[in-house]
Amino acid sequence: MLAAVRTFAILGVEAREVLVEADVRNGLPSFALVGLPDAAVRESRERVRAALANSGFEFPQMRITANLAPADLRKAGPGFDLAIAAAVLAATKQLPEGALADVALAGELALDGSIRAVPGTLAMAEAASRAGARAIVVPAACGPEAALVAGCGIVPVERLEQLQRLGGEDEPPRPPALSPPPNGDGPVPDLADLRGQPALRRGLEVAAAGGHSLLVSGPPGAGKSMAARRLPSILPPLGPDEAIAAARVASACGRSVGPAVARRRPFRAPHHTVSTAGLIGGGNPPRPGEVTLAHQGVLFLDELPEFGRDTLEALRQPLEDGTVLLVRARYAIELPCRFQLIAAANPCPCGTGPRSGQCSCDPASVRAYEAKLTGALADRIDISMAVEQPDLSSFTEAGESSAAIRDRVLAARERQRARSRGDRANAQLTPAEIEIGAEIERMLADAGLAAGLSGRGRGRVIRLARTVADLDQAEAIEVAHVDEALTLRRRESR
Amino acid sequence: MSAGGPWAIERSSTDYPVCLTDLDPPEQPLLYGAGRRDAIAGLARDPVVTIVGARQASGYGLRVAERLGRDLAVAGVTVVSGMARGIDAAAHRGALLGGGATIAVLAGGPDNVYPPMNRALYREILGVGAVISEHPPGTEARKHQFPARNRIMAALGAVAVIVEAAQPSGSLITADLAAKLGRTVGAVPGQLGVRVAEGANDLIKEGAHLIRDARDVLDLLFGVGVEPGRPQLHAAPAPRAGPPLKAPLRAVVELVGGGAATVDRVALDGDLAPREAAVALARLERLGYVTADPFGRWGRTDLTPPDRAPGGRH
Ligand SMILES: Nc1ncnc2c1ncn2[C@@H]1O[C@H](COP(=O)(O)OP(=O)(O)OP(=O)(O)O)[C@@H](O)[C@H]1O
Ligand SMILES: [Mg+2]
Ligand SMILES: [Zn+2]
Repeated sequence: MLAAVRTFAILGVEAREVLVEADVRNGLPSFALVGLPDAAVRESRERVRAALANSGFEFPQMRITANLAPADLRKAGPGFDLAIAAAVLAATKQLPEGALADVALAGELALDGSIRAVPGTLAMAEAASRAGARAIVVPAACGPEAALVAGCGIVPVERLEQLQRLGGEDEPPRPPALSPPPNGDGPVPDLADLRGQPALRRGLEVAAAGGHSLLVSGPPGAGKSMAARRLPSILPPLGPDEAIAAARVASACGRSVGPAVARRRPFRAPHHTVSTAGLIGGGNPPRPGEVTLAHQGVLFLDELPEFGRDTLEALRQPLEDGTVLLVRARYAIELPCRFQLIAAANPCPCGTGPRSGQCSCDPASVRAYEAKLTGALADRIDISMAVEQPDLSSFTEAGESSAAIRDRVLAARERQRARSRGDRANAQLTPAEIEIGAEIERMLADAGLAAGLSGRGRGRVIRLARTVADLDQAEAIEVAHVDEALTLRRRESR
Repeated sequence: MSAGGPWAIERSSTDYPVCLTDLDPPEQPLLYGAGRRDAIAGLARDPVVTIVGARQASGYGLRVAERLGRDLAVAGVTVVSGMARGIDAAAHRGALLGGGATIAVLAGGPDNVYPPMNRALYREILGVGAVISEHPPGTEARKHQFPARNRIMAALGAVAVIVEAAQPSGSLITADLAAKLGRTVGAVPGQLGVRVAEGANDLIKEGAHLIRDARDVLDLLFGVGVEPGRPQLHAAPAPRAGPPLKAPLRAVVELVGGGAATVDRVALDGDLAPREAAVALARLERLGYVTADPFGRWGRTDLTPPDRAPGGRH
């Protein structure tokens, strides 16, 4: 007696189809699991055995072989339990005829027969829909998340015995799609808390309005980290497609998809001791890193020069491409990572800055420190600004609130959308896509001579100037916009 | 570029620098050069000081080297160095700022700009001074040629000043060669515990003259207190006059010159809106008055608003 059931493996953030075949025949009772299972999948046999017995089914005292295909894909985790159990049940005729027709299943079994949540049901539901399945059976806890996907039935199940109701009159109904959690899953800190620092506020506003990357340097306690953590409060909300993309990542990584559904942009701030695999993604099977968790949001690298050189170097390609490619012996996966980079740094190891006259650093260590900043990542940074300790007098009044700044950011983004008829922010445009007048052209040529503006730097200035003009609600880029952009831009090291 | 292409001076020529004949083993029969040939003739007439130091210099070292080069040049001293990154380049740059002749001794041929990053400096040196080498044009700078280059630098200067040097380093070898040739050796003290300062501090401990400023060097050249009858020491270097500036921009130049290194500081001290300060800085950068580093910290260039420069009104 043979039965086959469809399920999915999560590879990175994608769902790959896996076929579970169960062959049950007479012989010495045994339960073999083949097809490159990892330890957790092998333990699946014990969970399936107990769950069947505790759900009123019969565990067959026969020779059982379950095969997970394709065999060359390494299967990890307990998410195959439900499909394996279903295949065994089907092979032993314990389910109604046709119950499993055209459905896929995913879920982990508890010994008592209840079904536990698994990561990635959103991507699985999408894959099931693409594969033309009638429905996907998912743990009830994952139902609302999977139901974000239209185009395929979602059957939430709490217990194994509910499989008997599949395809029948009393099949568990599609759950309502996950609704945004009230308050978007907790408060976002507000920029009103940041006192003084007008240049930094302006830098954040421009960065938010055009999606530009930013490096802020300054002495300890200036509020750099504090300000960076408040960037999400002025960012535009996720668009519908962006929200699904962010939710897909969160789901695949076993995190709450609530914030994404609330249209909130992810904010990730990995510690500088993070490994390259932790930042970029890696391992076998490959797991997404911080850059992917920051997809459609912000990656904040606090104390940038403290990060490992190789780690920063490894960020280059993902920053450029918006994806991470992880190549393994038998396959390669692509992980999405379109994020906005924000970085903070002290100007030198002692923090006072080599030009301050108070710096006590060895010049060699200052140079190594600067080299890290001006090395690998620097040419991926659009805005660079130096800040100082906040002025004490500025502590008397609260700063402008995030809501007010966000209004300007949204208006600027609206202009960008209308102009480019797309979702790309200014930071993603090529200089050729941005119109500049003859006067600005001349001005940039002059700046090329006097202010050392390189070709790459020129593009950066044009993009920034476009954003400054958008914040001004200006149709054309004006001289003052370019001047502000020239100040904001990151300069090449000399 | 002045004076056409490279040239060569034979040992028998009257222009040949006499001080090189002190060398043992003897110098090469031909000295190659580019730039102003008369700068070589000047070596016999004017006082000559060699300034060398670390490539990996500190900000302090670079400032001192540039200042020394400038003030010595103002006093009519020809500054010799090796055009390397760091102290050498700073000394040359200072001499150029001071409006004096400066000579770079190269390890490769006189047309071989090494390091290539100093190409702009090379061109400026050719304009008012010269580069010289033991090797004919077309010779690349190779490692084994650097000791010979150091020998020539050591021989040319009546005084050799080491600004920053690690232990061991080429600069210390130059100091050693200079001492063996009977030249006076001086060193600028450096910060304790900083590696590039060790070599210079060691030299002082071993008896090299302590150099604090150009006056200390002039004292070594001419005797304590004797003025060389040249333009005054510490006179401001001939400032390059920039394009005219309106009052608000001029005020910002002065703020930056006074140490305002961030947009916020300029805005605060200049009583400007932050965006006005940002725009003002960009305008001044386009005019050449200020520059910023990769971190966005601002500083002044050597450009001076015109009516403050000598020759303007007051
Ligand atoms: N501009 C400011 N406005 C309000 N509070 C501030 C400001 N700057 C600093 N603080 C206070 O000081 C604390 C430390 O600031 P923060 O950690 O942001 O400094 P930092 O610039 O990141 O310093 P470090 O270089 O040490 O990381 C903040 O949590 C906040 O309480
Ligand atoms: Mg911090
Ligand atoms: Zn320091």
